[in-house]
Amino acid sequence: MTLTVRLPGPAATVSGRGQRWAEARAGSLLALPAAVYFLVFWVVPFAGAVWLSFTDYELAGVPAWTGLDNYRRLLGDPGFWNSARVTALYTVASVVPSIVLALAIAVPLSRPGRVNGVLRALVMIPAAMPLVATSMVWSAIFADEGLANTLIGLVGIGPRPWLTDERLALWALVIMTTWKHLGLFVIILTAGLQGLPSGVFEAAAIDGAGPVRIFARITLPLLRRTLLFVLVIAVIGAMQSFVPAFLLTKGGPAGATEVLPLYLWATGFGFERMGYASAIAMVLLVAMLALSLVQFGVLRGGDDG
Amino acid sequence: MRPSRLGSAVRGTLLSLVVAVMLLPVYAMLAVASASDATDLGGLGFDAARFGEHLSQLFGQGGFPLYLRNSVILSLGVAVLEVVFSGAAGYALAQLPFPGRRVLFAVVVGTLSLSPIVVLVPMYLVVRQLGWIDSFQGMIVPFAMSAFGVFLVRQFALSLPRELLLSARVDGAGELRVFLRVAVPLLRPALLTLFLLQFLAQWDNLLWPLVVANRPGLWPLPVGLSQLQTEYDFSAGLVGTAALVTAVPPLVLMFVLQRYYVAGLTLGGVKK
Amino acid sequence: MTLLTRRRLLAAAALTTASGLLAACGGSEPEAAVPADGVPRGKLSVWLHQTKAYDAVFTKLLHSYVQEFGGVDVTPLYVPVDKLDAKLLTAFAGDAPPDLFKIGGWTIAGHARKGRLAPIIPKAMGVPDEKALVAQYDQNAISSLSYQGRLYGVPIDYTICCLYYRRDRFAEAGLDPDKPPATWEEVAEYSKRLTSADGRKVGLQWILGNPQWTLMQLLALVKGKGGGILSADAGTATLASDAGVEALRYYGSVGNAKLSNPLSGFGLFATGQAAMVVSGLFAMDLFPALNKQLVFGESFDIAPLPHWDGGQPVAPAYTWGWAVAEQSKLPYTAWHFIDYLQREDVAARQLKDASLLTPVKGWEKLPGADPKAMEIMAAAAPHADFGPRTPVWQEMAKALTDAGDAVAFGKKPPERAAADFDQAMRIAL
Repeated sequence: MTLTVRLPGPAATVSGRGQRWAEARAGSLLALPAAVYFLVFWVVPFAGAVWLSFTDYELAGVPAWTGLDNYRRLLGDPGFWNSARVTALYTVASVVPSIVLALAIAVPLSRPGRVNGVLRALVMIPAAMPLVATSMVWSAIFADEGLANTLIGLVGIGPRPWLTDERLALWALVIMTTWKHLGLFVIILTAGLQGLPSGVFEAAAIDGAGPVRIFARITLPLLRRTLLFVLVIAVIGAMQSFVPAFLLTKGGPAGATEVLPLYLWATGFGFERMGYASAIAMVLLVAMLALSLVQFGVLRGGDDG
Repeated sequence: MRPSRLGSAVRGTLLSLVVAVMLLPVYAMLAVASASDATDLGGLGFDAARFGEHLSQLFGQGGFPLYLRNSVILSLGVAVLEVVFSGAAGYALAQLPFPGRRVLFAVVVGTLSLSPIVVLVPMYLVVRQLGWIDSFQGMIVPFAMSAFGVFLVRQFALSLPRELLLSARVDGAGELRVFLRVAVPLLRPALLTLFLLQFLAQWDNLLWPLVVANRPGLWPLPVGLSQLQTEYDFSAGLVGTAALVTAVPPLVLMFVLQRYYVAGLTLGGVKK
Repeated sequence: MTLLTRRRLLAAAALTTASGLLAACGGSEPEAAVPADGVPRGKLSVWLHQTKAYDAVFTKLLHSYVQEFGGVDVTPLYVPVDKLDAKLLTAFAGDAPPDLFKIGGWTIAGHARKGRLAPIIPKAMGVPDEKALVAQYDQNAISSLSYQGRLYGVPIDYTICCLYYRRDRFAEAGLDPDKPPATWEEVAEYSKRLTSADGRKVGLQWILGNPQWTLMQLLALVKGKGGGILSADAGTATLASDAGVEALRYYGSVGNAKLSNPLSGFGLFATGQAAMVVSGLFAMDLFPALNKQLVFGESFDIAPLPHWDGGQPVAPAYTWGWAVAEQSKLPYTAWHFIDYLQREDVAARQLKDASLLTPVKGWEKLPGADPKAMEIMAAAAPHADFGPRTPVWQEMAKALTDAGDAVAFGKKPPERAAADFDQAMRIAL
């Protein structure tokens, strides 16, 4: 079975110079507010942060240029390396299960039907719950006599100190964020799935392809733009994740959940070493960009991105 | 191949089970909201009378209606601007060749990876230069667009059926008309998702409004309600109740949008 | 984008940032600090963190002040306590701090070193000079708010640590509820008897993971052994000494780090899982709020903070303070208003209504607080220790928390944790 999905690049629709000019004009017009916005609110602050990462700025006085000092210091800072390790672990632990789970839910849920409609709505409920407001409830859920221990008690596991055990605390955060983000991923994937051309599936079914084969050979490749989006968002979200650890564990126990953004926060706003914090942010930025590029490369598989 | 009846029953049960587990913490929130004090957090019992008490206590607090109003202004403002501007930019990035397209997209992806913590101070300086400290503009405009939004819309817009856009052009529609009349309806699921998510993000945003707003008259709910939780003195039940009440408006919005959302999806699904 | 525009962009960014920064440290001309007629006037902005009880006291005072001094308008802003620092720092960086604010005394040195604070104006406070003002307060408390010989704040909300214990848990374990442990050795011994077989109930439980409480708890142990966290001049870290290592070892030997509660040690004491905890005056009201069954004097009680057998008593303490921003255009009015907030009759009312102790001279005799608590605090006051006074307090407290937690969770032996602390401080100091 061969798939012929036409994905012409934007330039392919050009039917003449006038048309190209019209499209360029419309494109510029539509993108102009975004360009101005990103320039003022992100590029300028970003440039400021880059500059600060080469200075000793401590939230007061005139920053003095210190060259690569901050970056050199970073190499020998055990706090940084601990946080980098925690962040890497947290990213893998939260991205992989949540995307696999979201796919597993989204594929059956994307079929039409009244029940599925209701379930789609219910699955979004956690995503609509404010995290900051409900964080206190989560610390109650993970408390000694909380819901988490009640649930594992049902399957015969004794109570665990979720937030005060070095090996468990990170998983407690993973559970909380997966709960929060799953619905969002499901909905985005569902929207992507429902936008797929139904004819291809019918043809494959007529050819006698089983559901697993259809999923692997047709659904996944066709879904790759949506998947790419979800993956990039999930990875970046995990690497920048700050709120769960900030609210639930404050980085504890004994640094086990001190994700990099939390370390950055402590360095920048606790210790007021904004120059150093900026350097940490730049390293994080480069790591995330590199990862994004890899994801774009793997999932691009064509002319778009 | 038609799925067997048994298969779909199993699938339905499994799905319902997953959803039920996901909703358990929501129930736990109800339980906490009716907790008498901080030693009563573990239980799963729900005491309606005490919950009612907490509710009247909460609404009796002078600031609450004000915080609610501010949150609505902030969240709606951001969500509307976001849909308009990120929607336009996302579509342009996906479908219209214009000078600087690649640069803009690179900036978008780069922004996505930039830690918001480290730009907090520079962004504060920008907002101060604009004279927007202590104002709704200062709270709203910095979030009027997002890399997330542009990226989301772009990814969806990449999949728009060319034939439809092309046939509209052949019919003589101008580019803006193609965007508004053809692309926007097809992008409705993505735009509604974006609307909901940005509404929610602002509904849950604590740090920036706290930093920018210097008077309680501007405070949205997260800032206002964080007053309930002072360092060593807080009423667990009241905080839980506040959390629950805070969660209601976004939930309602979600259920309302859901109808249009599904409509949008089927509309998008018509295409081949 | 061409290289040129990119470069221009960077320059613009640098300019924007720099202009803000320059303004932040800018030399606004010192206006005539003291008005000729001595009358305060102008619009003051005040940032403070909210405690429900203090709010009632403060709002009343504010109104009566504005009534009495018609030329002054005061706008207060309550900021959640854990966000106050971030908001203040951003405002300082953006050159838009409030005129006056309530801050932790431990942060005074850091802010003062960065030139953010305006020293007191004695004239505004009805005294001829700084010495006269200091004489109105508890010496230890007010001098903790000075940096390099200049006074930058006046104290409010003064607390000396003591030992809280559960009388009911003591009785259950066959210990005399009227004989709380007096030494750390006894605490260890009592803790053994109070700890259940499964470790879910313990004797003394430290407040873990919290920089301020870690500092106070370890300060008591290290100083009591004759050591110090930093050297006397706060120039080097000295935890990797016999005293420091012993203190850390003890820190890791009592309590159960894995017990968890949304309110950490305070919550565990409220539920009764912890039978002892180190805390301050505020906890008298806190524990009955967390657990409505708890009654002071019946189910829980307080005792002086233990000391080492044969060792010196150490009384870890902290105080908050009122301070004025260097950028304030109205330092005179600000200090005048602060002085109004600090009168003795007000201090008595604050203590009674809000359990906030303003350490004015003779605070021991202020009515309104529990006599036993005041007696314990008064006895400890001569040994009050505010910990190392360093501009990098936050970094020190965080590094110390890392060390204490690492030992408590069994991640590092005390020797290594102490050495790691000293190493971390070498970079910071």
